[in-house]
Amino acid sequence: MANIAAKRIKREFKEVMKSEEVAGGDIKLELVNDCWTELQGEISGPPDTPYEGGTFLLEIKVPETYPFNPPKIRFMTKIWHPNVSSATGAICLDILKDQWAAALTLRTVLLSIQALLSAAEPNDPQDAVVAKQYKENHELFEMTAKHWTNIYAGGPTCICEFNQKVQRIQDMGIDEHQARVALSTYDWELERATEQLFC
Amino acid sequence: MADYYHELGWRELGDGEQPNHLLHMARFLIDYGLYEVTFAEQWPRLPPAASIEAVENLKEIIIEDDSENNCPICLKKFCINEKAKEMPCQHLFHEKCIITWLYKTNSCPFCRYELPTDDKVYETFKIEKKRAAKRRENIETLHNSMFS
Ligand SMILES: [Zn+2]
Ligand SMILES: [Zn+2]
Repeated sequence: MANIAAKRIKREFKEVMKSEEVAGGDIKLELVNDCWTELQGEISGPPDTPYEGGTFLLEIKVPETYPFNPPKIRFMTKIWHPNVSSATGAICLDILKDQWAAALTLRTVLLSIQALLSAAEPNDPQDAVVAKQYKENHELFEMTAKHWTNIYAGGPTCICEFNQKVQRIQDMGIDEHQARVALSTYDWELERATEQLFC
Repeated sequence: MADYYHELGWRELGDGEQPNHLLHMARFLIDYGLYEVTFAEQWPRLPPAASIEAVENLKEIIIEDDSENNCPICLKKFCINEKAKEMPCQHLFHEKCIITWLYKTNSCPFCRYELPTDDKVYETFKIEKKRAAKRRENIETLHNSMFS
């Protein structure tokens, strides 16, 4: 790994460890390998959002050309959000693309991703299905996001009706996550979700 | 008037050059609001490198006091008597650090202050963006004067 990238990540790592956010349990950063090219981030779901109480893991890959190019970051924890792919965890955030600046750090990036959970941009979606639900059926979107937070991120709110529907489809021999995706996509209408799974 | 045309990126036709009717048509459509000017709203990727001249003209500074300041690119603290480059926005960087960045894109990594570029398409885009903002402002003024 290029010298400047490794040196900078080391300095950033120290900075993050000293930060208030780490002390407050808002964000976390851990090393994955010894050559400082891969890290694991963790953010807590912001209060007053469907993600509240959840813990979300992020995969962080630092390119050779860092900080002249942005780090590559994706959600490892599955999440229902208009700007995150529910399938791959890819994030649509301007500072990770054309608005990247070399003065941004892993700390500011993690905080921006956390802010994205509080303020989605449904008009610049990464996941079109989620964005459509966000705009057209917001209440259901919030319930779905809460349910995903409960199942995948350890969130506190169990939505029993959704769990039962997932179980119904699982009983037909479908994988749990696949069942959840189909139901979430088809606004939790059991019939339409089943139809789609068996067509 | 010459400045006005220059600002819009217009110039006189050269010998034997035909007017670009498509360009005129495009400007007409945009000016009359018949075409949505999304292209004038955003540049879809990182803007191009700063112009060679702008990079060469960056001010050189000798760090005098032992402050807490560090170079925002490598995050290393500046030492006394160390050389640094100053952007027009007064942000300081190591020469190697800022030149590597400006070679990639034209703005201050700290505050996004933009240096000029050598990229004609991008410079035209910037002018169009300014025009679009000006147009919106004019329409708003007109609207306010009619309805207030
Ligand atoms: Zn530096
Ligand atoms: Zn600046």
